[in-house]
Amino acid sequence: MDSLVFMEYALAGLIRFWLLCSDYRQTVADRVEVSTPLNSWKRVTEGAFLYNEGINPYDGDLFHETPLGLFVFKYMIQRLSQWLGVIFIICDLLTAHLLYRTACIYMKELIEKQTLEKSSYAKDTQGLLLRNEDLKLSPIYVASAYLFNPYIILNCVGQTTTVFTNLCLAATYLMMVKGQQLPCCFALAMATLQALYPAMLVVPASLYIAKKNTCGMSDRCSQIYSPWATCGLFACVLFFLLYFSSQLSGSWTFLHSTYGFILNVPDLRPNIGLFWYFFTEMFEHFRPLFICAFQINAAFLYLVPLTLRLHEEPMLLATSLTALTAIFKSYPCLGDVGFYLALLPMWKHLFNYMQQGFVVSCFFIITSVLGPIVWHLWIYSRSANANFYFGVTLAFATAQIFLVTDILFAYIKREFSLHFGLQREVNGKAAKLVLE
Amino acid sequence: MVYSKNDWNKLLKMFTTVWDAPSGPQMFQHCHLFPRALGEVAGRHNVQELHVTLTEGLWRYEYWGFPVSDAAPGAELWTWFRNDTKDVDNIWKKLTGALSGLLCASLNFIGTPNSLSPEYSFRPTGVVKNSNLNSSFVRYATLPREIVCTENLTPWKKLLPCDSKKGFASLLNAGHIHNTNYHSLGLHIRPVCKDAKCTEVSIELRQTVSLVYDMMILGFQNQDWSLRKLFGLGLSGPCPLATSSFIYVDVTSNETGTPYQLQPEPTEVITSIRGGYESKFKVYNIQKMSFTHMLNIVATYSTPKVYAVNVPPVLYASRYIVGYGQERGGIVTKIHNNHWKHLDIIYLENIPWFLPIYLHTLRVVAGGKEITPILKKYVPGKERSRPYSLEVLLRIPARSVTEIYIEFDYVFLKWQEYPPDANHGFYIGSAIISAYLPVGKNYMGLPQAGPTIYSSFNASREGFLLQLRTESLIITLPTPDFSMPYNVICLACTVVALAFGPLHNITTKRLCMKDGNSCNGLLIRLKSMLFKGRKPQAQAH
Repeated sequence: MDSLVFMEYALAGLIRFWLLCSDYRQTVADRVEVSTPLNSWKRVTEGAFLYNEGINPYDGDLFHETPLGLFVFKYMIQRLSQWLGVIFIICDLLTAHLLYRTACIYMKELIEKQTLEKSSYAKDTQGLLLRNEDLKLSPIYVASAYLFNPYIILNCVGQTTTVFTNLCLAATYLMMVKGQQLPCCFALAMATLQALYPAMLVVPASLYIAKKNTCGMSDRCSQIYSPWATCGLFACVLFFLLYFSSQLSGSWTFLHSTYGFILNVPDLRPNIGLFWYFFTEMFEHFRPLFICAFQINAAFLYLVPLTLRLHEEPMLLATSLTALTAIFKSYPCLGDVGFYLALLPMWKHLFNYMQQGFVVSCFFIITSVLGPIVWHLWIYSRSANANFYFGVTLAFATAQIFLVTDILFAYIKREFSLHFGLQREVNGKAAKLVLE
Repeated sequence: MVYSKNDWNKLLKMFTTVWDAPSGPQMFQHCHLFPRALGEVAGRHNVQELHVTLTEGLWRYEYWGFPVSDAAPGAELWTWFRNDTKDVDNIWKKLTGALSGLLCASLNFIGTPNSLSPEYSFRPTGVVKNSNLNSSFVRYATLPREIVCTENLTPWKKLLPCDSKKGFASLLNAGHIHNTNYHSLGLHIRPVCKDAKCTEVSIELRQTVSLVYDMMILGFQNQDWSLRKLFGLGLSGPCPLATSSFIYVDVTSNETGTPYQLQPEPTEVITSIRGGYESKFKVYNIQKMSFTHMLNIVATYSTPKVYAVNVPPVLYASRYIVGYGQERGGIVTKIHNNHWKHLDIIYLENIPWFLPIYLHTLRVVAGGKEITPILKKYVPGKERSRPYSLEVLLRIPARSVTEIYIEFDYVFLKWQEYPPDANHGFYIGSAIISAYLPVGKNYMGLPQAGPTIYSSFNASREGFLLQLRTESLIITLPTPDFSMPYNVICLACTVVALAFGPLHNITTKRLCMKDGNSCNGLLIRLKSMLFKGRKPQAQAH
């Protein structure tokens, strides 16, 4: 099995390298779906150049990376300029490997948990249970879903900084399933430093680590204490990183260009999200209200309800929060979408409960092809207008929403079936499953 | 007033009026000849030096040489404030508002979002107390979309001591002046030394009108020109309040090109040698002439017109946009150096905030080889609050064409920020190229020492300050659909609700098995009563 995985890595690396050396690299890097104002490499180059000229990159409006990022990228551009593409490919392959290890450990845990709870399951649910082959197959599917996902390939070839964010997120997931508190908090703080939204993952991470570490001990006290400790540790590490960044850049003004930019959405460049056209057509008077509404929707709205519902399954909670963030954040890109799509094969046991798979996959394919076409018609041919592209982004967001809600519905249906059996009968009469 | 004729059938006219006013704390309260309106505006806003121009048309350096005073298309305003000014931005906004009222131009649209403080391109032209210049006291702004018409000419004429009743201003007939290829009104205030020792400083106000006529457009069959043809009437006499009143006709090309005769005979003929080049002027001293009837200076040609080969001046430039589509593009400025030696120039680019430029893409290529600028000063712009200002000091090689290239992105604005005709485009102001020319060829600019044309005769210096302005550009930014606000809000909120609904259901409800019949709602029971015989549909989740 391992040799298959290594071959996959080699093939994926080769595909990325070939695309990187071809003429299409600049086209891909310039596409609005791939690079947003937050992750575009052209802006990073501009920021590094301004810094070298002695101008503060945060004075202008173009640069939105943290000072830590500026420091690292500046070094990369100056010293390692020939190896830049290779660095991105290596980071991508590393992310795939971290996700593979995460899936391995998680599948093992699922099967262990299943063995423990087998006695409480209904009698006719043999077909629903995980099998030992899934222990080998699911991680390979996860790695393939990341390595050969066109969205991820485009993200890597476009040399966006989402590659590094995905790496930090994958590290967070791995440390989370391993139950290692400090590395998990550190990786999560790095991911939060770059894009504000992963901060939400501290909740599933702390739940998972608490469960993992206390499954041996049955100490109630530490069950309550451990999540708070994780949150506190995360906050400390994040604050330390922000303080270190402020020391690097000399003041706290970088916050306005990074977090202020993510929260205020001043740049209305089109992307695959919902914010840009909404705020283009917004009356000035209502802008603060809708900014707050959209940011709450993207960040906090589903955190508490989903946590309360899915606290037994923090991995699913983390995945759904990542997915909802990728749909509703202020500047999403294809790299964010591809990341959570790669996590889905971990729940392939839920796939036969999914009802909207066909619709969702059709939507994905159609919008991925139609998007660049209507963009070209709007911007280059001047024959279409902004509404076409807006419609395509709406359809894409709808497809993703259907996918996420479908997975969650499939999960609760499977849980119900495991505990109450596959028969749908009440008092001998045919019955339906109803949400009440 | 000076006429200059060149081979391209265009005539150029410019006139200057000069006053002195004593400086001091009450300097503008007792005005004699100095226009009080302008004086109060300048005094209240702590202005040391002020230059306003309203221009329509582009000065074609390649064919017309260098103008006496240069102006960018549209409205251009630059000011040096005194060193003791606090809160320069606030005072700048008030000054532009006051000037817009004075000149009936939309100068009130100038504010911090479109003003720059260039460090090298604009130095004070008047007297300064100490040579420590702080560029935070200078402000420069341009409105390329402004047009100039009668509405601006009338208040401008009112600032003259004789108004439009006597003197040269009586020639300024709006119908004739604004029919030209290039017309520019200018207002320049600067402090000058009162005497040679410079113990006291007085304020000088210079008002200029530059015109370029195209004789073909005016519909005249021959190339003869006269005051009556150009202005519609002759000169009735000098302004009695003026100290000196002259008309200069540049006859340098009379020997080389098609010769013409001037009537009446000029008072004197002056030969001026400046910067190695000789020019000849025929002078009419208006105050010494008798005015029994209107003075009409007529030039008659004896031979038909001969078009000669154009010899372009030492330095000229042009600017244009490259790239296609509305996603990204580039600005290219081409500077032609016809001098036999290299020239040092300062290139100032004034880019509005809605056109973000990438400094790392700046490339300067001269004659196929890339050259590095000697100095760069870049102030990055901020959306809606500051434009991009780029000053580059270059040494351009001799007899070459230098191209300066920089890339930019098209920005997507909020729908209310688009002007009423959104697809007309947005204007980008001209770039300014400042150079210190070593030769005086084609050079007609006034020297620093004196404000009249007479002071430019035989005024050879080590170098002649030249400021070229390039074309202003238009770009069309991608527009949203302006009819869609309500629809967009509804659709986007619908998609958000598409996620909210199911997630709300998942998190607040539990799955349970219900009997087929008992889980009907009221509506469905009503329906089943009405349509008996049909199986009632159970509620799906």
